[in-house]
Amino acid sequence: MKKILIVEDDISIRKELKNLLDNAGFNGMILEDFENAFEQIKKEHPDLILLDINIPKLNGEMLLQKIRKESNVPIIMVTSKNTEADEVLSMSYGADDYITKPYNPTILLLRINAIFKRMENKNDILIYHDLEVDPKKGIMKNSTEEVILTKNEMIIFTFLLANMGNIVTRDDLMTDLWNNNEYINDNALNVNISRLRAKLKDLGYEDAIETRKGQGYILK
Amino acid sequence: MKFNKYVRNNFISIFIFMIMIAIIDLMLVSFKTNEQAIIGVNITAISGYILYIVYDFERRRKFYNKFLNDLELLDKKYLITEMIEKPNFYEGEILYDALYEIDKSMAEKIKEYSISMTDFKEYIEMWIHEVKLPLASINLIIHNHKELSDKKIVEQLKRIDDDVEQVLYYVRSENAEKDYLIKETDLSKVISNVAMKNKDILLENKIDFIVEVDNQRVLTDSKWLEFIVNQIVSNSIKYIRNGVEHLIKITAEENNKSIILNIYDNGIGIEKSDITKVFDKTFTGNNGRKIETSTGMGLYITKQLCKKLGHKITIDSKENEYTKVSILFNKDDFLNIAK
Repeated sequence: MKKILIVEDDISIRKELKNLLDNAGFNGMILEDFENAFEQIKKEHPDLILLDINIPKLNGEMLLQKIRKESNVPIIMVTSKNTEADEVLSMSYGADDYITKPYNPTILLLRINAIFKRMENKNDILIYHDLEVDPKKGIMKNSTEEVILTKNEMIIFTFLLANMGNIVTRDDLMTDLWNNNEYINDNALNVNISRLRAKLKDLGYEDAIETRKGQGYILK
Repeated sequence: MKFNKYVRNNFISIFIFMIMIAIIDLMLVSFKTNEQAIIGVNITAISGYILYIVYDFERRRKFYNKFLNDLELLDKKYLITEMIEKPNFYEGEILYDALYEIDKSMAEKIKEYSISMTDFKEYIEMWIHEVKLPLASINLIIHNHKELSDKKIVEQLKRIDDDVEQVLYYVRSENAEKDYLIKETDLSKVISNVAMKNKDILLENKIDFIVEVDNQRVLTDSKWLEFIVNQIVSNSIKYIRNGVEHLIKITAEENNKSIILNIYDNGIGIEKSDITKVFDKTFTGNNGRKIETSTGMGLYITKQLCKKLGHKITIDSKENEYTKVSILFNKDDFLNIAK
């Protein structure tokens, strides 16, 4: 399980942030001792750090520079100060991403996943039972047949696949689609899901995507 | 400074001098003084007096002409004390010292206000960052506790966030100092952030959001531009028209001189008589009066920010048909920065 260190002084936010990360299958950890932040981070060896820029007794940007001298651990800067200068500075100090409060929690998770995916850099073929899914080529195939998925269908399917066995809300799917600059509406989402179902059926997986009324979809 | 006016102003002095000369002449005549001696005395006295008048006029003229001339040339009139030299006549000295005192006192007062403005601005900025923390916290709580979760709460949170941002950018737009950073920015990235912010309310109101922007890059401050585009899109959402399929369409045009970002909606539009005034401070117009939450500040701040960034913003509309806001980015800027 990936360990994510939360460096945040607002007690309510960090508690909920830990909840969010834990529910999403990460191990969220809260840094309590800001005065020895650097030593703590070294000791904990997190896989990713969510670092607030303005914390009393701690200059986020300085800490970022200090960490970067010794480690390449991915760091997402979190701030309520939404200025271009801060963002440019943070990125130049080696932050991997920059997100401003208040953020959409789904987006935060998408960004975290994007960083891990980028780091692992593994070949992009995904597996669903006996199907191979290649998001880059937009194809899904078994040993005999191959179907082409549109960009939207692929976004939906990879999201469902990443959360296989769990309920995915329509809102989560919408967020992921919009995050990929596909600004589709509710009807279009329905159409895409039925087309995806039909394509899965062609490859022998009828009822692979189940609708949970009032909750969302689940890929089995 | 005119000589005849100066003479008229010194009328009493001249008048008394003439009477004195007349009395002296009378006395000299009554003492039976030599005629030539009388003429000599008269010429000496009168030419001496004229010499004095001319000298006195000249030094005043020199000072006041320069003073008035400088005043006219100056853009900031209060800088006049930096331009003039201390004059060599009494009233001039008084004027000079008084002006100096007045300027000094005004400068102190302005400084006082400017310090209190800066303090106020800093406080507002700090407060805004503070208020974003509970907003962030509520967003997370709603996400984590689906049983509490309600789209309506998220929408209201977005409204608070928008209003808070409006204050922040108002403070920034009214301030003389430069707190933006111009860099090459992806238009589609800015639009994507705005889309994400408005996703729920767009879907809820069944507004189709169509974006036809390629990889155009412009020189701007991406955060400021995001606020500007969000403001315009928020207006489009606010003023949708019943009875049609709602549409917001964002396109970008490019020619060799500029890139134009168009934000089009098929909403209720703006009355012809109102369209020139929509960028005015606190102007709400007929549409604003229909919708209670209109403060008339959004487009005013938008225009101010565009002005600071050097983008040209225009609006075109037909009532009950459409509204189109266009932002023009100059490509020349690329060259200027490259130089």
